[in-house]
Amino acid sequence: MMNVRFWGVRGSIPCPGPLTQKYGGNGACIELRVGDTGRLVIIDAGSGIRQLGNFLMQHDLPKGPIQAEIFLSHTHWDHIMGFPFFVPIYVPGSRLKVYGPVSFEDETLEEVVGGQMKYRYFPVNMGELRSSIEYIRLREEAARDHGDGLLLTTKFLNHPITALGYRFEYQGKSFCTCYDFEPFRNLFITDPEHPDYDEAMAVEGEEVAREQNQAMEDFFAGADLLVHDSQYTEAEMKSRVGWGHSSCEYAIAAARRAGVKRLALFHHDPDRTDAQIDAMAADYCIPSSAGDTEVFFAREGQVVEL
Amino acid sequence: MELERAGQRKKIERFIEKMPSLSTTVGKVLEICSRTDASPNELNKVISLDPVLTGQVLKLINSAYYSLINKITSLTRAITMLGMNTVKNMALSTAIIQSVAGSNKSKALPTSRFWVHSIGVGVSAKLLAIARGVPIQEREEYFIAGLLHDIGKVPFGDEYSQVLFIAGQEQRPLVDVEREFLGIDHQEVGELIAAKWKLSRAMTSSIGYHHDIELAEEDDRSLVAIVALANLYVNIHDIGFAGDPFPEYASADMLLSFAGLDWSDFAAISGKVEEEIQKAQIFLQV
Repeated sequence: MMNVRFWGVRGSIPCPGPLTQKYGGNGACIELRVGDTGRLVIIDAGSGIRQLGNFLMQHDLPKGPIQAEIFLSHTHWDHIMGFPFFVPIYVPGSRLKVYGPVSFEDETLEEVVGGQMKYRYFPVNMGELRSSIEYIRLREEAARDHGDGLLLTTKFLNHPITALGYRFEYQGKSFCTCYDFEPFRNLFITDPEHPDYDEAMAVEGEEVAREQNQAMEDFFAGADLLVHDSQYTEAEMKSRVGWGHSSCEYAIAAARRAGVKRLALFHHDPDRTDAQIDAMAADYCIPSSAGDTEVFFAREGQVVEL
Repeated sequence: MELERAGQRKKIERFIEKMPSLSTTVGKVLEICSRTDASPNELNKVISLDPVLTGQVLKLINSAYYSLINKITSLTRAITMLGMNTVKNMALSTAIIQSVAGSNKSKALPTSRFWVHSIGVGVSAKLLAIARGVPIQEREEYFIAGLLHDIGKVPFGDEYSQVLFIAGQEQRPLVDVEREFLGIDHQEVGELIAAKWKLSRAMTSSIGYHHDIELAEEDDRSLVAIVALANLYVNIHDIGFAGDPFPEYASADMLLSFAGLDWSDFAAISGKVEEEIQKAQIFLQV
């Protein structure tokens, strides 16, 4: 059994206010509870992790020291900015493991995440934390047992820095993340009339993009719940190519092709109002026929049982 | 003495004449990387003209840095999956080092320690550029400028040992002793190489004026000052060896002001330099 709760669903920057109350204004943070013991897995430390931390202090701490595994999709700021406000890091006895990728030339994961806890940015320095925190760099890896029967697969995503998608499987149920992610595309010139046109490059570029997008779909195939980047609409994408995000239309089509059972559209653009999301939901989230993918826009506070 | 100096100079000029030209590939890669509008097609074409470079870039991409499950076997694939910038940076660093490494013949400067010095100055210059707020797409230029700043020492022969000995014993700046005994200093030799390789003006300035910053053109001074500071840092910390007996502390304040940095920025790169050197050395092993 796995349970998922969304603590933050926005991309780029938190956007609180009257226009975003329904879907929420906090940045990416997902709580995953695994098995009867309620093993705690957290995906991303956007601003939503603050309220998750407060919740844990109230409900989990009385039962014993907090233990959590935090998986960062990548280290762009909107996915780590909540970390200094996650109260359990200040509590002696808390045991945290922080997993995530780092890009070529970057510092270690600890330096990247802890780098925001320097006096010039924040009043508490990383070295002053009282909890035990271990940092583990992840790479793309095939499925492996992550302990106690929880199976973990990681997938390299197309984004301006190294980002990973995660697939967790437990007792026949599966939960996948695929953000921040822009579909792979052929970057090479395809117009035969162009002076720099090269047929071999054009053909291989096309083939690699198709194959990589297929590999993405294989990665989340059959998932009970897929959380997919859908920051933009297909129309908006035209002026945002290379920014590292997907359109709702793409996410829905890919999830359907891959036989995903439920799709949470996620990483909403900070400028997207509740009214706009409701209007989009009316178009995209039509009641599904039996066996079809159920589509919804992720909402802060929403719980999904798997 | 005069005659001997003239002879030394001739010898060095002959050495430079015989040095291989910077390959067309490297020249082109440099050109493409300095343009923001270069297309993936151009980058791909320029690298693939040189099969050795192509092999090295792919080897690097498949190294520990990325560890993708499936090996990347073509440039087209690498660019599609990792993007233009990553591939550009790898090609540039690999190409430059490939064309310079191994051309150092003098026993006075053991190759491996000289390269550690050069890489140290490259990574320190890049770290200082980051502290200075240099945009990400321009940082690689600082690395290369640092890497190449002492390229003028490469043509010196075994008599350079004596120059190093005297500079050490008399506690004099290396460039002074070079001028006195060889009739030419490593900055001037470097400029000759830079001209032969058709390096950019800024790059040539940093090779030619890192000990005489006031002679550099005003537009280039910030880059030259950062390279000079990086050199100072590496000499203070005894990283590698390029023959400079004593760090030129006296010039530090002037260099910091030209670079737009302060002492705390200078101190803050400590700790990161060694780690960056480890990373950069992978380019030499491919």
